Amino acid sequence: MSYDSLLYVLLFLPICLAVYQLAPKGWRRRVLLAAGYVFFYLFSGTLLVYLLGTTLLVHCIGIWLEWLKSEEKAAAAAVPGSGKKAVKAEYQKQSRRVLFLGTAILLGVLAYLKYYNFFVQNVSGILEVFHFPFSPEEKSLIMPIGISFYTLQAVSYMADVYWGKIKAERSLEKTALFLAFFPQIMEGPISRYSDVADTLFAEKPLEVQNLQNGYIRILWGFFKKKIVADRLAIAVGMVFDHYTSYSGAVVAVSAVAYTVQLYMEFSGCMDIIIGSGELFGVRLPENFRQPFCARNAAEFWRRWHITLGVWFKTYIFYPVSMSGIVKKWNQYGRKHLGKYITMLGTSAMALLPVWICNGLWHGARWSYIFYGLYYFTLILLGIAVQPVRDRVLSICHIREDSRGWRRVQITKTWVIIFVGELFFRADGFRAGLHMFRSIFEDFQIRQLWDGTLLELGLQQSDIAVVVAGCIVAAAVGMIKERGICVRERLAGCRLPVRWCAYYALILAVIIFAAYGDGYQKVDLIYAGF
Amino acid sequence: METLMNILREIDDSIDYEKEQALIDDRLLDSFGVITLVAELEDAFDISIEASEMVPENFNSAGAIYKMICRLQEI
Amino acid sequence: MKTKKRIILFILILVLLLGALSFVIQRVALGMKNGIVGRSRAFATVSAEAKETIDVLVIGDSESYTSMSPMDLWSQTGITSFDCGQPGQRIQETCFLLKEALKTQSPKIVILETNAMFRDPGFLENISMSIIEPIRYYFPVFRYHNLWKQIFDGKKDPGRSVFKGFEIRDKVVPYEGSDQYMKETEDVQEIPKFVRHYMEDIKKMCEEKNADLLLMSAPSPHNYNYKKHNALENYAKENGLPYIDLNMKTKEIGIDWKKDSYDKGDHLNLHGAQKVTAYMGKYLTENYSLPDHRGEDGYQEWEALSVQFQAEVESRSLKAGK
Repeated sequence: MSYDSLLYVLLFLPICLAVYQLAPKGWRRRVLLAAGYVFFYLFSGTLLVYLLGTTLLVHCIGIWLEWLKSEEKAAAAAVPGSGKKAVKAEYQKQSRRVLFLGTAILLGVLAYLKYYNFFVQNVSGILEVFHFPFSPEEKSLIMPIGISFYTLQAVSYMADVYWGKIKAERSLEKTALFLAFFPQIMEGPISRYSDVADTLFAEKPLEVQNLQNGYIRILWGFFKKKIVADRLAIAVGMVFDHYTSYSGAVVAVSAVAYTVQLYMEFSGCMDIIIGSGELFGVRLPENFRQPFCARNAAEFWRRWHITLGVWFKTYIFYPVSMSGIVKKWNQYGRKHLGKYITMLGTSAMALLPVWICNGLWHGARWSYIFYGLYYFTLILLGIAVQPVRDRVLSICHIREDSRGWRRVQITKTWVIIFVGELFFRADGFRAGLHMFRSIFEDFQIRQLWDGTLLELGLQQSDIAVVVAGCIVAAAVGMIKERGICVRERLAGCRLPVRWCAYYALILAVIIFAAYGDGYQKVDLIYAGF
Repeated sequence: METLMNILREIDDSIDYEKEQALIDDRLLDSFGVITLVAELEDAFDISIEASEMVPENFNSAGAIYKMICRLQEI
Repeated sequence: MKTKKRIILFILILVLLLGALSFVIQRVALGMKNGIVGRSRAFATVSAEAKETIDVLVIGDSESYTSMSPMDLWSQTGITSFDCGQPGQRIQETCFLLKEALKTQSPKIVILETNAMFRDPGFLENISMSIIEPIRYYFPVFRYHNLWKQIFDGKKDPGRSVFKGFEIRDKVVPYEGSDQYMKETEDVQEIPKFVRHYMEDIKKMCEEKNADLLLMSAPSPHNYNYKKHNALENYAKENGLPYIDLNMKTKEIGIDWKKDSYDKGDHLNLHGAQKVTAYMGKYLTENYSLPDHRGEDGYQEWEALSVQFQAEVESRSLKAGK
């Protein structure tokens, strides 16, 4: 029962809404929690224990850290002046150990389930080279649904308590709900406790306004996922599964198509998810902000899968760049090497772990690691050439924010994104490389109009709908980029106009969505990470 | 405060720090600018800034940065 | 209060819109008949048949429409029959397909091929189908929504010839397994709860229409065994339904697994279907009194289609001979 299924929208959500509304105050949270566990159980059955275990662990660690903090205060107050620092340092050390314990257990479980086999494959590969007779065996490990998402949320919760950004949650029920709110179980957004706590635990009664907003958002998600993404999935699958039979031109088109598919699917699901939250008056963090308006790779990642980017920035990038080694390098560098080189070194040291983790988070495959390193290289390169670029711009009298220059930058970023997603989707790094090379070695632009594109499982009508859907989505995106909320603007219109728009959206989804005869259900991509 | 201003100007002298109230939110100071700044501040004021202090509110204006420094010095 | 009224009005208009669209699209679908591809074809074609002309309705999954050939039954006995099975039919589809057919037809006999009675796609899928099928039934726009594509693309595929739901499959891929696949046993295969529930609906619909429900298991070593036989035997007894298991009568029917199998003992090919149809024709004439419509006014279409069917069968066998 994924979010894009009729079962979810027509049965699960209405039942949850009804039970939620009927439940007395104090029980509504429990209704949401129960819904989350039912949802989880339907996917992963008894693997629910992983989530329950994580919840219990995180809750206890939170309270433990909080307790250490209060002890620290009491102890510091009892010691006069100069001793305070030593006492504090002692408690800091203890807190750090507790945090480390919690994080290590969570990441250990994740790493074991997700990366054990990958590790074994590589180790056996190495051992084979040395003709070692013994090699470890792979295991059939099944991951519970959404583990990559809730584990990050759990870690962020503990770290935030450790840093004193939030107070530890006293009620186990609330901690549990934070990790198991059903709309975000399958694919995020990866929320931080402070993002959602106020609305998630508010137990507000249902409101017409929220319901209306939520359902429109959900419909919009269906529009993107069902009309555009699921159609593209057919053709994209065809090319990537039989990449050797297609020329570079088709590969290039399919890389673009996959990027569009991934965006429409992931952001469409986010619309359904965030809309589902809105129905209950819960505000979940946004995950996308018109990523295709980005002017460089770094900005792209501030607009694409935002919550993941923020997580890495907060819990990996900053801690690493504040760590002793980096600080020492900074001091040493500025004295002996100059500002530019120091900054490059600092950037590299802080960014490398971020991007390796980003790649690995998507799955245990070398091609994902390559994907991470690809962005690492590009972003570092961006930092490295910045001074030169600035000078060239000023010599040529190009203004940074002039329209033309912005277009050039956006186009360049698109190419970067398309190439990245090509490797991301390709079946392994070697396949990706083969496809990438074919663009330069075997382009055959003829294949774009000799009918090859029509043999990828899509008819002309499908292509027409995809293009139309993209135009609508792009138009909405452009309006949003100007800071106008389409939904609010629409709500301000006169009733007939507004209703016509709603009916048009509903009917478009019913008629043009890719379901029924000739189509198969397409699984959510990000739920697999 | 004067020391702080000098450090800020050294990082980027095209910004009017007296007036600017959204250094981070408007992306005038990027991630690396902040990191360099932190390193400088730690040296100059003998404080230790942790990763938890890395929130926009602490760096959005010269005043906010100064406040944070004072808070950390008290400890 | 005002908002409540507005919400009700909004939903009302939406339902009206969907109803209007459904009405239009149903008309279009009936006009396209065999031009419709996929699972919806059975729905469209059976609804497009002339009213009250079908005496025997065959429902079920692919085992149903690969075993009974309406044109052969017609030329041998003059009984009008129609195959409205779907590949891998779910019991919910069986139920609503019957409901759809009974809107325009009053068959004397409904033959239910039993293979679909053991299909259990799991709890969630069952619930999902139980929601989707009624929606499709009451708002055909959900069933035929993809028709705009055929109109947009233009009809490229003239459509294979379909004879009252039966297609000519003359490929032979022999079944190499044992003839003794119906080995006697006490074990009983379970009939899923959902199936039992929908079977009640199916029985009730037949009763209301005065149609006799007949359970039939088509010969298929791939799908049948004695455990299923026991289950169906018990089920038929409990519910007072007649049941024929053709797997127990393959010798009588004259099935030759070397020649009559389409795909290694899963489905029958044309020859197999013709043998089964001949046997069932005899069974139907012996046990029921069904009218012989041959030569009757209003059944000229059947005569014409029968001629076309024979011609196509002959041309196929000629090709095969070469």
